[in-house]
Amino acid sequence: MPLDPANSTQLREPGGSRKPLPPWASTAALLVPTYGWLTLAVFLPLCTMFAFSFLTATPMGKAPIVFTFKQYRAFIDQPYLLGVAWQSLLMGFWTTFFCAVLGFFAALALVRATEGKVRETLLILVLLPFWTNGLVRVFSWTMVLREGGFLDYAIHSVWPGAGSVGFLYTRQAVVVGLVHGYLPYMILTCYIALVTIDNTIVEAASSLGARWWTILWKILLPMAAPGLISGSVLIFVPVIGSFMEPRILGGRVGVTMGTVIEDQFTQAFNWPLGAALSFTMLAVVLGIFATFSGVLRRGTAL
Amino acid sequence: MTNVEVRSIAKNYGSVPVLTDISTDFTQGSFTSLLGPSGSGKTTLLRIIAGFIIPDQGNVAIGGNDVTRMPVWARNIGMVFQSYALFPHMTVNENVAFGLARRGIKGEESRKQVERALELVRLPGFGDRKPKQLSGGQQQRVALARAIVTKPSVLLLDEPLSALDRRLRQEMQVELIRIQKESGLTTIFVTHDQEEALTLSDKVAILDRGRIVQIGAPTEVYERPKTRFAAEFLGDTNFLTGTVVAGGIRLANGSTVAVDAPLPATGSEATVAVRPEKIVIRDVARGGKDTDRSNRVSATISSSVYAGTALTYEAAFDGLSFKIFAQNSDARPHSVGDVVELTWSPLHTVPLEAAA
Amino acid sequence: MKIAARFYIAAILAFLYLPILVMMAMGFNESPLYELPFSFSTRWYQALAGNAPLVNSGINSIWIAVATSIIATVLGTMASVALSRRTFRGKTLLQLMLLPPIAIPWLITGTAMLVFFFYSGIGRGLHALLIGHVALAIPYVVLVVGTGFQTVRADLEEAAMSLGSTPVHAFFSITLPLLYPSILGAALFAFAVSLDQFVISYFLATPGFSTLPVQIYSAIRKGFTPEINAISTILLVGSMAVIVIFALFAKPGGVSDKR
Ligand SMILES: Nc1ncnc2c1ncn2[C@@H]1O[C@H](COP(=O)(O)OP(=O)(O)OP(=O)(O)O)[C@@H](O)[C@H]1O
Ligand SMILES: [Mg+2]
Repeated sequence: MPLDPANSTQLREPGGSRKPLPPWASTAALLVPTYGWLTLAVFLPLCTMFAFSFLTATPMGKAPIVFTFKQYRAFIDQPYLLGVAWQSLLMGFWTTFFCAVLGFFAALALVRATEGKVRETLLILVLLPFWTNGLVRVFSWTMVLREGGFLDYAIHSVWPGAGSVGFLYTRQAVVVGLVHGYLPYMILTCYIALVTIDNTIVEAASSLGARWWTILWKILLPMAAPGLISGSVLIFVPVIGSFMEPRILGGRVGVTMGTVIEDQFTQAFNWPLGAALSFTMLAVVLGIFATFSGVLRRGTAL
Repeated sequence: MTNVEVRSIAKNYGSVPVLTDISTDFTQGSFTSLLGPSGSGKTTLLRIIAGFIIPDQGNVAIGGNDVTRMPVWARNIGMVFQSYALFPHMTVNENVAFGLARRGIKGEESRKQVERALELVRLPGFGDRKPKQLSGGQQQRVALARAIVTKPSVLLLDEPLSALDRRLRQEMQVELIRIQKESGLTTIFVTHDQEEALTLSDKVAILDRGRIVQIGAPTEVYERPKTRFAAEFLGDTNFLTGTVVAGGIRLANGSTVAVDAPLPATGSEATVAVRPEKIVIRDVARGGKDTDRSNRVSATISSSVYAGTALTYEAAFDGLSFKIFAQNSDARPHSVGDVVELTWSPLHTVPLEAAA
Repeated sequence: MKIAARFYIAAILAFLYLPILVMMAMGFNESPLYELPFSFSTRWYQALAGNAPLVNSGINSIWIAVATSIIATVLGTMASVALSRRTFRGKTLLQLMLLPPIAIPWLITGTAMLVFFFYSGIGRGLHALLIGHVALAIPYVVLVVGTGFQTVRADLEEAAMSLGSTPVHAFFSITLPLLYPSILGAALFAFAVSLDQFVISYFLATPGFSTLPVQIYSAIRKGFTPEINAISTILLVGSMAVIVIFALFAKPGGVSDKR
């Protein structure tokens, strides 16, 4: 087939007819909607709220706007907040702790005792609840933990004389609900860290006479460390800000920073205080993220 | 007839010059290789001709029209990418027909042209496959068919064979020449494989740090390299430096090497290049037969590497080291320590331009 | 060792699923006080039909999720094109700006929206919810589609342009069909994010206009009735279905491979 270049067919869209947008303009056109939206819905609100945290009171009507730092002194002026903060940290700590222990071994079991399709299926099963409504899952626990709930019923059916063990409306109940909510996260991050471990390393170690706890302590745990750390950060941060779990499962004892902040916005209408508390919490959150940012980047890179 | 013309092209990335003052012509129907080490700017030049990059300075003309500011899609080029870049969601037929459709050719006419293009690349009957179902070499042929079916003004190839294994690559080189000659397309081919460039091209352009240091027919650039870089880049070379005298140069040890080419002014310093295969070894002790090669120096074999069909020797000569390629045709190879005479013709003694 | 490990995995799965199953079962239990033994009944599902606020909020939830999914997918995909295929200054900053909506506790984002929307005149209600949900979903879309872009080689678009396609035509004829599984995945993801979103909705809903999670929350706080179990079950099954479909589609090349 001799192709005759002189006879070459003409392009339908000769470039001259319609000038293409300069690259920077089309790039901007692609980006502006998204970042405009995020600015309107996230960044401007955060800035506004930051400004609010320096006001004496929620601006209403013609009342003059007065600036102050007093909202940030709340922990000194209202010492009960220190107790609440302490409870929130404890709640975050225990939730993270139980997630780490349960999640690490679950990931380990998945990596060491399953393979192929079975492992894939189990992993999906573990992660599936994570994408269901958190509220509904918290509600599920009330069915289990309440007096005369499923837990009591199960125990009574094997030991009819037992008293009620239901512990709804306790701090323990809140932690159980939170662990249930965030465990899949930890399993996933640990799994990602552990799945890269070469089986031959473990085999080599055991052929050298290492006991299983030596292998666990000296090989598996250090290698899973990035997963454990990133999982812990990703759990601790939302847990200390949670308010719906403490409200539903903790009842009257479920007072946390999250519920206190919510109250400022929905009940007390002290928006400046709520804002100041929010930003104090945000500072803690950002501090945690900054400290572990390196590990987070490695641990969550799928 | 000139088809593609580049004039004073310059391109910088930030303050780093990537191309400097490139000017050259590509004749209608010719096959030109852009050859140079990694980072010398070959891809950049090719992509400027294609229209993916706008040069900071200079012009590109295709078929006599200035296309410097014309976007890629209006230039009517054909391009083959190193990774083939076949559209994975389309069949071979759909891939090849893609450019035709952009030119308003559809239906029966498109089908016929696609079929002919696939015949040209020797892949008739593969039209309904997806790219994934083809071998690397076959994908390359489809990419070629897709690029030439639209009868582009110029065919641009960026290291299209580098992903293939050695045997397949040689096979494809032969195919490529055949297809190029049959289609008559002006072709610009980027490679950093000097052998490939010499085998395929009508012309070879050697790039070094963003400049074309030499452009010419393969024999010309190989036999008469202009600079030390060009000489070294296209295979092994021996260099001799000395003072220019009438008809040659005088080396530091006083012996004179005859040069059958114009030389700089007498008394100035000059370097000449001699390819290792141009040198003949004459075994003085064994009384090897004399030749008419008028350049001769005596040297001592310092190493010998045996490679079946050929041998590579190194011979020491007054503190210099010579590399010599010899066919494995001597009754007995020379051994290390032999005192020999190296002879070569003044015609093969190439004076080089002083380093820029 | 292996048996113990498998037993352990089974125990974890039981911990994760048992409460949910119990909750679902109770929705089919006759007794309004969750009394056992179990006696099957669909009366709570029938009662739902007459519970106008719940039904309306459910419909609201679905509409908002659909709208969020469409808007976030279109905007997020556009941004993803620029972030994946263009070079420009400040790109890293723009990528970092996607993190706050994901990383900052929703409680803070939600209350901040409440404050800003109140004083800027945007107010609360449907449009406010939509603004909030889309903002939360966009980063996920950009991330999911951006991952998809990594599997679509940039030189395919260049090849199309060398054959005569304008950048726009190259995008729609080459990139988009190859990106389609990721985009569909991102859309489902955005749908799920919106459908399950409670915290932000809670602060932006009005008494007259709320979403299903918000209604469920206020119902729970008023007292437990099996009707909550019934509606929760519906929501749960719905979002699980969306996620399962997402998992099937979002597998790299999941759709394009099937011929
Ligand atoms: N987008 C870019 N930004 C900055 N520098 C670039 C860019 N593209 C290329 N360069 C630089 O330009 C120089 C020439 O690059 P080019 O790709 O043309 O080299 P090449 O000759 O094709 O090399 P190779 O044989 O490795 O493909 C290199 O030093 C490269 O680092
Ligand atoms: Mg290159």
